[in-house]
Amino acid sequence: MILGAAGLTIGVVAALLVKAGNPGNMGLCIACFLRDTVGFFGGAGANMGAVAYIRPEIVGLVLGATVSALVAKEFRARGGSSVLLRFVLGFIFMAGALVFLGCTVRAWLRLGGGDLNALVGIAGLVAGIAVGTVFLRRRYDLGRARKLPVALGWIAPSLAVALLVVAAVAMFGTKPAAFTVTPAGAKNTAEKAVIGKDGTVLKPEGAALVDGAVVAKDGTVVSPAASVAAAKPMPGGLRDPFVLALAAGLGLGVVAQRSRFCTVGGVRDAIIWRRFDLLLGVGGLLLGALVTNLALGQFNLGFVGQPVAHTDVLGNFAAMAVAGLAAVMLGGCPFRQVIMSGEGDVDALSAVLGMAAGAYFMHSFQFASTAKGLAPMAWPLLAVMAAVLVGIGLWMRTRVAVPATDTVAAAGQEA
Amino acid sequence: MQTVDARGLSCPRPVMMTQDAMNGPDAAHMVVLVDSGTAKANVASHLSEAGYTVAVEQSEDGSYTITARH
Repeated sequence: MILGAAGLTIGVVAALLVKAGNPGNMGLCIACFLRDTVGFFGGAGANMGAVAYIRPEIVGLVLGATVSALVAKEFRARGGSSVLLRFVLGFIFMAGALVFLGCTVRAWLRLGGGDLNALVGIAGLVAGIAVGTVFLRRRYDLGRARKLPVALGWIAPSLAVALLVVAAVAMFGTKPAAFTVTPAGAKNTAEKAVIGKDGTVLKPEGAALVDGAVVAKDGTVVSPAASVAAAKPMPGGLRDPFVLALAAGLGLGVVAQRSRFCTVGGVRDAIIWRRFDLLLGVGGLLLGALVTNLALGQFNLGFVGQPVAHTDVLGNFAAMAVAGLAAVMLGGCPFRQVIMSGEGDVDALSAVLGMAAGAYFMHSFQFASTAKGLAPMAWPLLAVMAAVLVGIGLWMRTRVAVPATDTVAAAGQEA
Repeated sequence: MQTVDARGLSCPRPVMMTQDAMNGPDAAHMVVLVDSGTAKANVASHLSEAGYTVAVEQSEDGSYTITARH
């Protein structure tokens, strides 16, 4: 019941955040928002100019979880369970998510907004999780985490505070030149001219808007009027007010920490134990987003023309299968990883940093999908990622069937 | 009595190890050790669902001892 209520709350808040300015069906997306935050540092050099913005929601989630864990006396510095492999799994998760265009949270939010491509993605997600349960039944295990010095548990909350400070400074216009922020409301034309919210031309420099077309200094037309009219918003430029985003993140961080909301655990447990009560979490998420989107007129049923989405059926399925498998192998969805890192879990932080590195990689080398579809090299990439996951899944297991009573003997035999 | 030491393990290993103990001999009485709130909640509810009477004790180092009887 708590899970259902938590899912419902997250779904409703996410839909409201879209109303307040976030990209379509992207009120909350762990993969997208981590990627945007990386974009702030990566910028145009990493092909992230259109997705560069420190999302206060992510910062809020971490800090909300920290406060909640401290109050509940659940803040514990812990880690040491295959830290590097968790980085790799986070990296692969992000690769899958950026081919699909959304994480395991956004998949449900997209469906709640009427995007039927998400249905294909969710089918892939279930398939990936099902493969993960096969590994789990074969005693796949990343080993034990241990208690760590308390200072290590504060790394993630400290990083979150640092990001918050940098984001606040950048917002007041004193951003160092090395960083990038996608201009609020910016739109991209097919020819890569960038139009600001109020009709000013942001790129190329010195160009002006004449009769609806972007005209460069020397008089050449950079972007014809039809192209400007059809310009698509840059996702990084779509955002809700800073304080609102931060407050929503903080609130949802508390909700998620208390409820242990996970978008993967419910499906996983339904497959392993035929227990369906944990599915209330994602059920609530879907219902909350669906009802709120309907009420706000944000619901748009169909496959084509969905916000920040493409229609490649096989690609959507395979990408989410890879992401779902990686998430099961991490022990929880990316949302959980972000929340647990706020609780002092260094292993979870490693997964989150892996996701960030994955985002940089995917954009730098142009593997990430666009609204037009999959990148040319997306399929080989997914194949490699899937092979690595299967390798880790087969390799990392408790080698011996351990009788529960015989824990002393087992300690020396674990993988 | 069986003792399951699931401290430091990720989801869903603690519950899977508990299930193994439930399938094993001497399943009427078991003690499960975990060290996260999530594992505690998941293991306790898994045991309750299976008809066990469950008692949870939190120790000073923050770990939990879950005692279950059928």
